[in-house]
Order: sequence, then structure tokens, then C-alpha cells
Amino acid sequence: MSEASDDLSIQALNLTRIFNSLAAVDGINLNIKKGELFALLGPNGAGKTTTINMLCCLLKPTSGTARIMGYDILEEPFEVKQVIGVSPQETAISEHLTPEENLNLIGKIHGIDARELKLRTRELLETMGLGERAKDQVRKFSGGMKRRLNIMMALIHNPAVLFLDEPTLGLDPQARRAVWTYITRLKGLKTILLTTHYMDEADFLADRVGIMDRGKIVALGSSRELKTSLLEKHTMVIYAWNLTQRVISEMRGRYAQVEVSDGTMTITDKKLDFKEIVDLLHASGAVVRSAYIKEPTLDDIFLHITGKELRE
Amino acid sequence: MRLLALASRNFKETYRDPLALGFLLAFPLLFMVLFGAVLSGDTIPNYSIGVIDDDNTPLSQAFIDDALANVPALEVSNYDDSAAALKDLKFGDLKAYIVIPGGFGEQVFQNWQGKETNIILDMTYDESDIMLSEQIISAINAVTRSFAHIEIPVTINANPIHIETEITYIDFIAPGIIIFGLLILIPTSARIMVSDKEKGFLSRLLTTPARPLDFISGYSICLVAIAIAQIIIFIAAAWGFGMDIVGSLWLVFLIFFLVSLSSIGIGMAVASLSKSENQAESLCWLFSMPLAMLSGCWFSIEMLPSYLRNVAYAFPFAHAIDASRAILIRGVGVEAISNDLLFLVGWAVGVFAVGIILFRRSMRG
Repeated sequence: MSEASDDLSIQALNLTRIFNSLAAVDGINLNIKKGELFALLGPNGAGKTTTINMLCCLLKPTSGTARIMGYDILEEPFEVKQVIGVSPQETAISEHLTPEENLNLIGKIHGIDARELKLRTRELLETMGLGERAKDQVRKFSGGMKRRLNIMMALIHNPAVLFLDEPTLGLDPQARRAVWTYITRLKGLKTILLTTHYMDEADFLADRVGIMDRGKIVALGSSRELKTSLLEKHTMVIYAWNLTQRVISEMRGRYAQVEVSDGTMTITDKKLDFKEIVDLLHASGAVVRSAYIKEPTLDDIFLHITGKELRE
Repeated sequence: MRLLALASRNFKETYRDPLALGFLLAFPLLFMVLFGAVLSGDTIPNYSIGVIDDDNTPLSQAFIDDALANVPALEVSNYDDSAAALKDLKFGDLKAYIVIPGGFGEQVFQNWQGKETNIILDMTYDESDIMLSEQIISAINAVTRSFAHIEIPVTINANPIHIETEITYIDFIAPGIIIFGLLILIPTSARIMVSDKEKGFLSRLLTTPARPLDFISGYSICLVAIAIAQIIIFIAAAWGFGMDIVGSLWLVFLIFFLVSLSSIGIGMAVASLSKSENQAESLCWLFSMPLAMLSGCWFSIEMLPSYLRNVAYAFPFAHAIDASRAILIRGVGVEAISNDLLFLVGWAVGVFAVGIILFRRSMRG
């Protein structure tokens, strides 16, 4: 164990899982600090869920291992299970039970004292906005409500480490926002590892993002770090009148990539000076209406690293 | 604590689901009503009958060895005295036995000489199997007439034993339908487990500190409780429809209980091998419907060709039907059904063990 391992909540050591000679997770090394919200971002099939499944002892690694709060997932799975809460990708809830009964079941399995459990159940239902539906059978709930209950069931025993596998999958924007709000409230209180294939989700929620592709973590850092350090090229977008052929060829002579369509000019190069470009355009007769340096997104970073779009 | 929490959850999932309840209770009851009214089957069966030769003449010997032995529907065994035959009849090894009285050879000889003489045979048969007794009597009648070259019907002094005032079809059909109801535990138990697997609920529970034994007991306690409720309701319903309970209620309950355990074990095994609820249910029905038919849930297994009967007796359900009929209708005790009982215990223990092993294995990634 390294010296800093006391601060670490999740530590993956060369974690690998091979399905039929295909490496779904390929030698992942990862250190997540206590209280950190870490997002694994990647398209479907990148190996995010397989990683989570190994970390919460559902799946045995083909090689390598991991430690959760110092417990080895291979040697001490039942100790690991005491300290984690998992919200799976499927809304894994008992449909004919009420939210209260669902929460009680998980609470009792974790051996929580009945009075304490009652208190926590009520508190969770209230904060997660399901207080009024506590006695209704879950099968009548909307997708968003089920998702929320799914997360609550991972929280009822107050675990130190929380795994959220695609917590907003298939939700409409409003319901997604609501789930984000609840997750934000947990920030700093628990170590959270969430997986998502929505870049805005990782961008909005995570302290650090690990970009996953084909079983490997291909980039790691805070959203800002990833955006500034990994992108060598910058892009400026200009809306202008009078973008004549002369203006375009003038700009193409100076910058690496210049594209024009519908009065919009997109310039991409390693170094861009906003004022210089605007002055140049004016000097060559174009009338600039608006212009901005485009902020890179995680999607751009993903495209940059893997050469493909993040969506599906 | 954990396993009770799990069992109680499984219980709620089942009794709050009208479809599951309907399958478990209403479906077999419907069958009981329908089959109580319908008579089935007229293929050539194979009956074991005993013969006691009190006449002991070459003619009576020839009747047994040449005539009776050549009737396809009959399987004839010789007995020295009627006490031994009666014992086997009670244990269900024989369907009937006939006594060839002294003077039989003389009577046949007279007929051969052209003098019409009445021929008398004594027959004792198991009254509970109403369909069978008719067929045996007519078969013996026919073979005797042909042997003695006479046109008039032979007088057969029929002595039904274990006379209950009235034997109804419900007496015969009810044990089979109850076993069928317990066979439905196969798809039911498979469905409960596979549904949890498919919907990820089992995975979620596997990320908690619950142990494999907690899950298995959680399901088993719930399913066994359901089975006990089913057995009580079925017996009560059958009794309400007019089924007589001659033998020990506890013994017949034990038989039904062992069948339930076998069903739950088979369901557990199927659940472990299937990936989806649809797959598990189709697999279970594909398995349990033919098995119900083969085991004689709806008609007498005697009508099956022998190779199919052998298949049926490889499973616990045909044994359970035989044993429960013997207890309910003939009132036999534990010694008469000890073989069936042992077979059932063996199956219940074996299949439950296999179910647990497969289920445990399917829980590991």
C-alpha cells in the first residue's frame, strides 16, 4: 500500500476483466480520494459497468484487484459490502413493495436497528421528495421517482462509498436535474463513483473525470484540466458579413483550418489571438457581427482522444 | 433477521401480485372442477391381476396359462391363497384377483361337450379405480367365454373391497389435480427468482452483506409457506367437492409437502440456468405440462405404454399420485407406501440440493 492510501477510498490495481478473450476492463489503475465525486465517462460498452461490478464484488476480476476503504475486493468481499452502497443501472427495486418497505429491506439486511431505520427512512423519503408516496406500491411510480428510490436504497445504511451506475439513464431533462440536485447534496459527505455517458453530467457533478474507452482509462483529471491541457488546438467562431473569397483565402493562408458556411467562419489552430483575427477580418473588408473562442466540451476531448463521437 | 426480511419481501411480492396468486390457486381449482366432470381415455391399458386356482385341474391350468396369459390387457400372476392376493391388492400391486373355484374344469368340459353350463368365477377388485374394474370384468368375461366355447355371459361373482358408500370421480381425480397444483410451483418459484435476477434486484442484494444462504432461505421459506397454504386450500377444496379422506391426513400432507419441495427445487434449478423470466417460464411449462400428463394428474397412468410409464416413474409426481390415492381412497398406512415415500424424500433432498448448488453458482460473477 502506498503512503497516501489512508486518504484513498477506492483504489483499483491493474483491474482486468476478460469476457471471451475480449478485455472489457483492461488493467485499470485508479485512486479515488475520500469524499471525492469521480465520474467514469464513456460510451456504452466502454467497460464502466464492468468496472463498477468488480468494485462492488458482483464480478470477479480476471486479474488485478481493488481496495475499497482498505478492504480487498477479493479477500474481504463481505467487509467491502458493509461499507458500500450501490445504485445499479437498472432500477433494481421491489415493484410490489412500497418505498418504505424497499428501504426497510436493505436496512434490515445491513442490520440497522429498527428505530434508527425508521428515522432514516422518513428522513430520506422527505429529502428525496418521496415522502407523500411512502405507502404506495412502487410499480405505480414514474421513471424519475423509481430512479430516486434506486439511489435512496444505496444510501439507507449510510455507506462511506457510493456507486451510482448511470443514475439518470433514460430520464427527461427535468427529472435528470432533480437527481443531479440530490447527488450534489451528497458531495463531500461520501466518496461517490458514478458512471455516465452524458458528458454534461460528468461536467456538472464530478470533481474528477476518467474517460473510458475500450476498457481503458484514456484520460484523467478535473473537467477543467482535461479541457485545457488535452486540447492542443483552439477554435474560434465568427459571424460576419461580406466573407468574400479573398477574405477566406487570406485567412486560410494564415491559419491551419478555416471553414465557412452560412456566414459563419470557424478557425482552428494551435494558437489563436482574438483581437488579431478580428482586426485581420476588418482589414480585408469583412464586417464582424459577433465572435467567440469556443470552450471545448468533454465530448470534444473524447473525440480528440478516441477519434470518435461519445454518443452511443 | 436477514433471511426473514428477505422471506417477508418475497412473500409480499407474491401475494400482492394477482397473476401469481391466480396461477397458484385458481388454476388448479379450475382443473379440479373441469376434470371432475370429464371422463377420459379408452386406450388398451395393462392391468396386474392375480389368479388363485382352487380347481387345480389340467383345464383350469390351461385357462390360466393359455387363455388369461394371452389377454394383452392383463398381466397374470399366480397366488396360492387369497390372503396373499388380498394383501397385494391392498398395497396397489394388483388391480384385481380371481379365484377359480373347484368344479371349474368340470363346468368347462361340460360346455365343450355341448351341455350349456354356467361358469362361475370369483373376482375381487379394487373398487376405487372405477374405470379399471369395468374393463377387467369385461376382459375376463370375454376370455372365459371364448375358452369355454359358450355364448352366454359367464357369471362373475364380483366382490368389491374397501367399500365406501360412494366412490366419485373426485376421489380419483383430486389427488392428481392437487399434485398438478403443486407442479405449478415449478414455474412460480422459477419466476420469482428469475424476475429478481432479470430486473437486477438480485444483483443489488448481492452488493449487500447478505450471504448466499440468506437468499436461498429467503426464497425457500416464502415458497414453502406458499406450498403449505396451497396444500391446505387444495385438500379443503377437494374435500368440499366430495373427496373422501379414508387414510391419514398427516401422511397425505407429508406426500404433498415432499412433492412441493421437489417442485421448488426444480424451479430453483431452472431459475439458475435461465437468463430471463420468459425463458424460465417457457422452459418450466414445457417441462411441467407433459410431466403432469405423464404422471397421471388427469387420467390413469395405466393407460400409458410401458416405456412412457417408466419415464413417469423416474419423476416424483407419479409416485406421489399413487401414494396419495392409496392413502386417501384405500386408507393404507405408511408401510404400504414406503417405497414411494422413500423415492419422494430422495427426490426432494436431491433436487433441492442441486437447486441450491446451481443457484449459488449462478450468483457468482
